[in-house]
Amino acid sequence: MKSLYLLALITLLFSCNAPQKKKDVALNTETRDYSIETVVEDLSNPWGMTWLPDGSILITEKSGELIHFKNGTKTNIANVPEVYNRGQGGLLDIEVHPDYKNNGWLYITYASSEGEGSGGNTALIRCKLQDNSLVDIEQLYKATPNTTRGQHFGSRIEFDNDGYLYFSIGERGARDVNPQDITRDGGKIYRLYDDGRIPEDNPFVDVKDAKTAIYTYGNRNPQGMDKHPQTGEIWIHEHGPKGGDEINIVKKGINYGWPVISYGINYSGSKFTEITKKEGMEQPVYYWTPSIAPCGMTFVTGNKYPDWKNHLLVGSLKFNYVELVKLEGNKVIDRQKIAEDVGRVRNVKQGPDGYIYIGIEGQGIVKIVPN
Amino acid sequence: MKKSIIVLVAITLLACNNSKKEEKETIKIGQNTVNTSVKQTPLEKSIERGAVVYKDFCVQCHLPTGKGVPGNFPPLAGSNWLTEKRTESIHAVKYGQKGEIKVNGVTYNGIMTPMGLSDKEIADVLNYSMNSWGNTQKVMVTEEEVAKVSK
Repeated sequence: MKSLYLLALITLLFSCNAPQKKKDVALNTETRDYSIETVVEDLSNPWGMTWLPDGSILITEKSGELIHFKNGTKTNIANVPEVYNRGQGGLLDIEVHPDYKNNGWLYITYASSEGEGSGGNTALIRCKLQDNSLVDIEQLYKATPNTTRGQHFGSRIEFDNDGYLYFSIGERGARDVNPQDITRDGGKIYRLYDDGRIPEDNPFVDVKDAKTAIYTYGNRNPQGMDKHPQTGEIWIHEHGPKGGDEINIVKKGINYGWPVISYGINYSGSKFTEITKKEGMEQPVYYWTPSIAPCGMTFVTGNKYPDWKNHLLVGSLKFNYVELVKLEGNKVIDRQKIAEDVGRVRNVKQGPDGYIYIGIEGQGIVKIVPN
Repeated sequence: MKKSIIVLVAITLLACNNSKKEEKETIKIGQNTVNTSVKQTPLEKSIERGAVVYKDFCVQCHLPTGKGVPGNFPPLAGSNWLTEKRTESIHAVKYGQKGEIKVNGVTYNGIMTPMGLSDKEIADVLNYSMNSWGNTQKVMVTEEEVAKVSK
């Protein structure tokens, strides 16, 4: 009788846990043969970072400040557009043009309340840096409608080898409205020319009422994006709900299925879909269950970290580490915890000096230095 | 004994009932389901609005159960902060929370960034948290009270 009681108790304890992924690639902790050095101190939420040709760093703070870190000194850049700093929205990613040396263009995504209606939505601008101020600001995209929902603004920016600009906008907390509808913004990856024009061969240019900047749809909230060093393809990861964070490769016109297919469930534990696969909807390269809350990603290139070369680093907001995702082609073959307990990882990027830099909430920016 | 087993199993089954019909997550308002036909008190109205704010801004970390994530995100359910540290609680929601804190005797050293909520939304979400998951607080948090809490 006692054992029956125990069994019932055990059932009770285990039955409500988030589902674990079956046959997952094991996550190991890598032996530390590197140290972690502080680069920039006292930042609250270093959302995005990019490097200028002189090696200095431009850092976005979610609250709306743009910081130029040069020779150990922080300078606040003036004339940054007003951001809608609410929930997950604020000043988001920053990226330099691949030919920055010659044209000086900077690209920034942020939550903006510009336009009709209360609330905000994600915008993309390009601008130049002159005398510690942003000048020549051009708005290249502004998602609609504005909404006071606090979730899923995206956003990351990346260029491919042909000079096209890609950026992400999350579904703005409108799961059942935005991601599957190509006439609406949100839950999409967008592709533009570097001046904001819409490429003639974007997948939905001939579809009536479609937002023609859309390149892929059925995404949830991508906050990591990088170009594969060998294939040149744009890779992203996106937050799932409870479980079902995904790595995807951006391909023209593809539907990634959110929320029709998903490996995740509602935060409450209830389900919103019964299926994980459907024809016409892309399967992820990899998915995490339970969620790690991925933020920031970078492929490792160069020779600073021979064991990590051509593999992927992904920040975990939730579990305070960076995950080394080892790849064989497009297949995940191994996973290791890097920089365990480093803090709430908002961003991870490889600098032009070949070092890996990590943006940490409430702290600043650190770099990984091999011993 | 037998009865208690049956009850336990029933709880297990009910607790994990993933309602397929449920399109969207629902959050229970306060201790009881609010009967809209009866005239609501200002506190009940605030709790109802607060439930929406909670689902939008808080649920990812503090979870629908208010239990948080052990070692990472402190609980709100049964939290001594909500009963003993009223001003600190308002301050944390209004300006964010960083560094070491003790909740129910357990130390947390994390960060919660400010959410950009209005004073009214802050009052609402606190009234919701203070009156959910077994928590009760009869003294309503007001917009004015939130406004008075400075950095």
